[in-house]
Amino acid sequence: MKLYLYGIIDSSSMIPEPICGLEASSVYNIPYCDIGAVVSEINQPVQAVSKRLVLEHEAVTEKLMEKFTVLPFRLLTILDGRENVLSMMGDYYGDFRGNLDGLRGKVEFGIKVIWPADKVKSRIIDACGTKNRNAHLLDDSVERRFVREKFEEHKIDRALREKADGYIHAMDVFLGKFAAAKRLETLRTENLLLSAVYLVTKDNQDNFREAFEHIRTARKDFKYLFSGPWPPYHFVTLRRKSQPRRNSGQTAIFDKVILQPTLVEADRT
Amino acid sequence: MTMNSIVETDFPETFVEEMEKLQEALPQRIDANPNNVEKGLAKLVLTLVELVRKLLEKQAMRRIEAGSLSDEQIERVGETLMKLETKMHELKEVFGLKDEELNINLGPLGDLM
Amino acid sequence: MDNIGLKSGDVTLVEILDRVLDKGVIIAGDIVISVADVDLIYLGLKVLLSSVETMEHLRGAPFPSPMQEAT
Repeated sequence: MKLYLYGIIDSSSMIPEPICGLEASSVYNIPYCDIGAVVSEINQPVQAVSKRLVLEHEAVTEKLMEKFTVLPFRLLTILDGRENVLSMMGDYYGDFRGNLDGLRGKVEFGIKVIWPADKVKSRIIDACGTKNRNAHLLDDSVERRFVREKFEEHKIDRALREKADGYIHAMDVFLGKFAAAKRLETLRTENLLLSAVYLVTKDNQDNFREAFEHIRTARKDFKYLFSGPWPPYHFVTLRRKSQPRRNSGQTAIFDKVILQPTLVEADRT
Repeated sequence: MTMNSIVETDFPETFVEEMEKLQEALPQRIDANPNNVEKGLAKLVLTLVELVRKLLEKQAMRRIEAGSLSDEQIERVGETLMKLETKMHELKEVFGLKDEELNINLGPLGDLM
Repeated sequence: MDNIGLKSGDVTLVEILDRVLDKGVIIAGDIVISVADVDLIYLGLKVLLSSVETMEHLRGAPFPSPMQEAT
């Protein structure tokens, strides 16, 4: 009996309202002590990450979020049989319990900001001035010119990052005020100035939203994205490392050890 | 089954475009489909080679900035970096890989590129 | 990449993917199985935006090269 996992909830009771999962099958709770694993049975082999799969998965975790504290599972976590689910919960109970306690009453919001990277670079290049280029001797070797160009690139890149950090810090002053935890990523792409997730208590949702509106109107040349409330995908911390697979025809060359931020203030990555 | 989460933005296409660039260089799992194994492995290997190359480059820049390299050393560094860059460019062409596909996230160190 | 007429619904999908693909509770080990014979990879937004009917039609057929859709 293949079981598709949606999340861990802080309840060992039955799910009060019916929830529809993958393959239109019923979603139910497998209890373990005072927590539970929310699953549904699947029969069809899942061969691809389809849009429907993604949306159905997310719909279930969000429904759970309405009534419970939920630790959402990554997509396509499938275990074989109830015994394995219970065994997994036994292995991770401490982690699950700790996370559930820390995440109670909190939701995740996502904020992304796109800035005009090209324009910022142009301004930096102008500021650096063309005086450096004019200083080149005509009989400079190809290698030396290469290094000089690389060095210029390096300086520009560094200046770009410093500028980015400045803007992000300014925004975080407002947003961070209402966050229990946060995770900020600078320049995931050159244009994606900020990719951030904030853990906000339900009481503070409106304040947080207001803070976002404030920064959004502050700069008209930036583009903003606001999303949420989400189940706390980015704030689940599992200390217990995954075991490598054995006797498996499937090879995973990189079994990731995920370093997630702890539930106190997270440093900017 | 509907969802509650909202995604609000005045520029959905722009954000989708940027996010598409973030497709991981190191896949969660390796596609065992025989047609794809070679490309998957090439991506893996070249990502690591690119990592080393970029780290060498960064190190060189830091040394130059600190003024700890002689003119001759700078010349040598330039030659090596040039050759490495050309080689990587060739390899990327051979395997049909783009820069974004070789970018990896180094956690606290940020992205490779 | 071809312009495939992206709609605002797609930004929702992309935001969800940014979470469910490699965040949340991640466990691995012998007891975690992938039901398919072939390991699963994220093929990119272009594949995801194809209709469910197309996806069902593709089942059983060889997977397209992940590099194809990058052109």
